[in-house]
Amino acid sequence: MLTPTLVVACKETIDALRDVRSLVSSLFYALMGPLVVGLVSAAGPPHSPNGAKVVVSMLSIFTLVAAFVGGMSIAMDTVAGERERHSLLPLLLNPVPRIDLLAGKWLAVSLFAIAGLLLNLAGSALVLVLAGIRVEASRPQVLLVMALVILPLPLLAASAQIAISTLCRALKEAQTYLSLLVFLPMALGMLVVFSPAPRPWCGFLPLVGQELQLQSLVSGTPVSAAQALLAAILTAAAAALILRFAAARLHRDEIVYGN
Amino acid sequence: MIQVHHLCKSFHGRPAVNDLSFEAADGTITGLLGSNGAGKTTTLRMIAGVLQPDAGQVRIDGELRDPLGRQQRLGALLDHTGIYPRLTVRENLLYFGRLRGMAPGLLNERLASVIPALGLDRIAGRRTAGFSQGERMKTALGRALLHGPRNLLLDEPTNGLDVPTVRSLRDLLKRLRESGVCIVFSSHVLDEVRLLCDRVVVISNGALKAQGSAAGICALTGAASLEDAFVQLTAEGERSSC
Repeated sequence: MLTPTLVVACKETIDALRDVRSLVSSLFYALMGPLVVGLVSAAGPPHSPNGAKVVVSMLSIFTLVAAFVGGMSIAMDTVAGERERHSLLPLLLNPVPRIDLLAGKWLAVSLFAIAGLLLNLAGSALVLVLAGIRVEASRPQVLLVMALVILPLPLLAASAQIAISTLCRALKEAQTYLSLLVFLPMALGMLVVFSPAPRPWCGFLPLVGQELQLQSLVSGTPVSAAQALLAAILTAAAAALILRFAAARLHRDEIVYGN
Repeated sequence: MIQVHHLCKSFHGRPAVNDLSFEAADGTITGLLGSNGAGKTTTLRMIAGVLQPDAGQVRIDGELRDPLGRQQRLGALLDHTGIYPRLTVRENLLYFGRLRGMAPGLLNERLASVIPALGLDRIAGRRTAGFSQGERMKTALGRALLHGPRNLLLDEPTNGLDVPTVRSLRDLLKRLRESGVCIVFSSHVLDEVRLLCDRVVVISNGALKAQGSAAGICALTGAASLEDAFVQLTAEGERSSC
């Protein structure tokens, strides 16, 4: 028999898979980076080393963003949407701790966020091959390491999106704030790309650490396993803390009275 | 059995429920009667464990339990139906049965009993998007009854329903009462309360005004009808709140 968390995760996954329109929009969002960079490359093939570097940097920022877009639709639907449709109250009437309910939703959102990220990585590799840019990131084994290094990010993104969704009363409100959240990885990614020499401790920070490791992998510089692991642990810890905050939100009166 | 002792709840300093006490016995239908905003929904939500009271106690089957413990003993249909439009009726029910940890065998057995009892056989395999209010209400009622609760909370369940659906709901509630289920039913429709409820709890501005049988409340106030008695009991509180 499934635990309540897995029951919620399965239901949310099936529910989201049936929402074809949202799935299509998530697909476009996840592939936005490779599509944009592909168009830029097609306009003027970046044969010079500097041109190739710009293309790769752009792709790495879009990869960071992709971790935040795959689960965005389901994250807003699963909490703010439930509130708007008045289905959150019946859910809270079940004898299940609210953290377990939210953990199930988080699992489902994470699954879609990881799918978005993997799709983006595959699309990015394809763009590099088609553009004739020979970098480490177009090799399958490097792609796999990149996927592993960046894997904690969708988990953090899912937590943050669910937490924001618990603060919103309606889907439209959640859509506004979750769209703004996407600018966070974009801004931090740009900061790393354009920063001349980031401080060593930046490598441990969620988002910044993953972007630095992506840059290293793309350029063929070895990545410190200890640094990657510590960044992953800190990112996962941040995800857990944010999820705790979201679960505490579900205990507030306005969650029941908010609409 | 549901026992409510000195329940209080305020929102932003404004009392919604004020020192409310009443008891609902097994095998009876207890009607919470009050005007809009009287505190019926807040009371039911506190009993159901989704709102934390500021003060007071709720006992279910004689035991003082935490909200999750109360929810194990309760079935509730509060305020809105809140069913999932992309899931079928059967999937909606299965989801909540699994959430309650019902074993697959028992869950299938209960589905086979609840779906025909609510007249949902024809639409059990259909996604609920586009359902009529009556179909949504029956699905939500199925969700509340699936685990066979001995205590049932219903918040204005006949709102927006047509006459045949109201009648079939009334018949279902009578059958549940006969099987010993304790039903607490909120309404502001006096006829419904008169036809269905064994006991009536009149609430105004969150406070208890009277409780007893419909006839007893009429006798207490000297009114000729439940409507007159209700107006008499609630008029004073509502005047003071204006």
